[in-house]
Amino acid sequence: MSAIDWGIIGVYLVWIVWDGIRLSRDTGKLEGYFLASKSLPWWAVGLSVMATQLSAITMVSSTGQGYADGVGLLQQYYALPIAMIIIAVTFVPFFRNANVYTAYEYLERRFDAKTRFATALLFLFSRGMATGVVISAPAVVLSVMLGADVTIVCLLLAVPTAVYTMYGGVQAVAWTDVKQMYLIVFGLGAACVTLIAGLPGEVSVNDALNIAGNAGRLQAFNFSTDPSVRFTFWTGTLGALFLFLSYFGTDQSQVQRFLTAKSVDEARTSLFMSAYWKIPLQALVMIIGVLMFVFYLFTPPPMLFNTVHDERVRQSARAGEYASLEQTFSGVVGERGAAARGLADAERVGDAAAIAATKAAFLDAEQRVKDVRAQAVALVKDVTGDNSYNDVNYVFPTYIVTQMPVGLIGLLMAAIFAAAMSTIAGELSALSTSTVMDFYRRWVRPEADDAHLLVVSRAAMLFWALFASVVAIWAVELGSLIEVVNRFGSFFYGSILGVFLLAIGWSRCNATGAFVGLIAGMFVVALVTINTSIAFLWHNLIGAVVVFVVGMIVSEVTGARKANG
Amino acid sequence: MTTMQRTYVRVVIVWIGTLAALYVFQWFYTS
Repeated sequence: MSAIDWGIIGVYLVWIVWDGIRLSRDTGKLEGYFLASKSLPWWAVGLSVMATQLSAITMVSSTGQGYADGVGLLQQYYALPIAMIIIAVTFVPFFRNANVYTAYEYLERRFDAKTRFATALLFLFSRGMATGVVISAPAVVLSVMLGADVTIVCLLLAVPTAVYTMYGGVQAVAWTDVKQMYLIVFGLGAACVTLIAGLPGEVSVNDALNIAGNAGRLQAFNFSTDPSVRFTFWTGTLGALFLFLSYFGTDQSQVQRFLTAKSVDEARTSLFMSAYWKIPLQALVMIIGVLMFVFYLFTPPPMLFNTVHDERVRQSARAGEYASLEQTFSGVVGERGAAARGLADAERVGDAAAIAATKAAFLDAEQRVKDVRAQAVALVKDVTGDNSYNDVNYVFPTYIVTQMPVGLIGLLMAAIFAAAMSTIAGELSALSTSTVMDFYRRWVRPEADDAHLLVVSRAAMLFWALFASVVAIWAVELGSLIEVVNRFGSFFYGSILGVFLLAIGWSRCNATGAFVGLIAGMFVVALVTINTSIAFLWHNLIGAVVVFVVGMIVSEVTGARKANG
Repeated sequence: MTTMQRTYVRVVIVWIGTLAALYVFQWFYTS
């Protein structure tokens, strides 16, 4: 990378810290620090919600999945608009009218202290771990791309974020999220334009999409009813519906956002920004992956995108085997490129027989490319011992660094930093809020004044920043990045949602029913995870249903009562 | 019907339109 690109990253890091501090108001009061004095406009809250949800994992891993498998992952987001309507009708007015700082505070009013304690503890554990993954995902990839140590990159992500979040609280988070969201969308748009401009002159966008379609990369709908298939229309609309209800409706990192809006209706409107724009934005991310696939049909790709692993294998005792694979790879990539050009020509002419013949040749060559890459990845795992190595996470950063012009490289890298930092900041703020309000003020110092609690809040944020950084290093060993985050969540999300559904939707539910239901839900999800191959998005639905049913039964058996909250 | 209820209907209409557009896109480039 050139000095100009490094300079852009440096300017971004300094500017975002300064901007976060500059725009913070009323941070001497608890309500200002945690809830922005309920003063933020709907559009800022909406952009902040989207920025927190769109992490660097989305930019790095989802584009890679688009490259390798196509747009199927998009189905995971299909239920989001419906989830937003349900949340706007149910959760938003409940939390706003309850005048709470955290979602879990509401559960104590509705049930009892132990239910609040359990759900808040689950949130701290799962979100603390997930924040580590949110740091490690881009850090691992960026360290290879920037040629820097992974620990240094982790610190480059965590330290500036912790500084402005500690200083300005949720206001700093929201206002920096707005700027970061602009940068991310601009970066994705620039990548898309660069990819289209990089196609050979005779290959139009229409040709590129035809080729991608023939390669099975544009399957946005899979109606398979096999519960072990990860991304289908059904997991996306039913399983993911429960994930989104839990994440956007009960997770403190999101609930805190709509608590900062000026009114109930502004909070609702902020959520609808995601309802309108999340699927198109995610489609743009996936299409970038697909366009990279087409781009690398005509521009020879590296056999492996991780240059560090590539170099290690070249220096190892199995270098000869690797060189042989590379030679084979070079040959089949050439054949695949020629077949792709033939397919584009045949599609343009509309000759059905020629299309069928060239498509068969193209798919055959594509399969051989995949086979060689699979062998190369297996070789890397043998040589390096990195069994969780997933080469697709390096595709987009490699494209940025090797194919984009100077200036845009720095901008795109800054956009990846922005995506990571906006998510980390939101999580740190929520973790700190829950630590202070659900634990410290509730159990340790109920009489503490704002000044004291603000000191504790900043200390809690520092603790969680350190905790997440340590987890980040450990998470590197855990495998495919996007799944790791979702798996952490899916273990608890459905069950926590079930407790809130009982609180809001079943007035006869008592505290014992809610607590036993929560335990039962987590237990069943654990059993399902360990003993079956059911796709993880279904775990949310299973957890929520088990908690709700067990909660109802236990409440009736132990003496149901009318809700008092 | 309140303004917010009309907004809910609009979200559903846009949602159905988005999914329909994606389906047509898939059909156009894969059939």
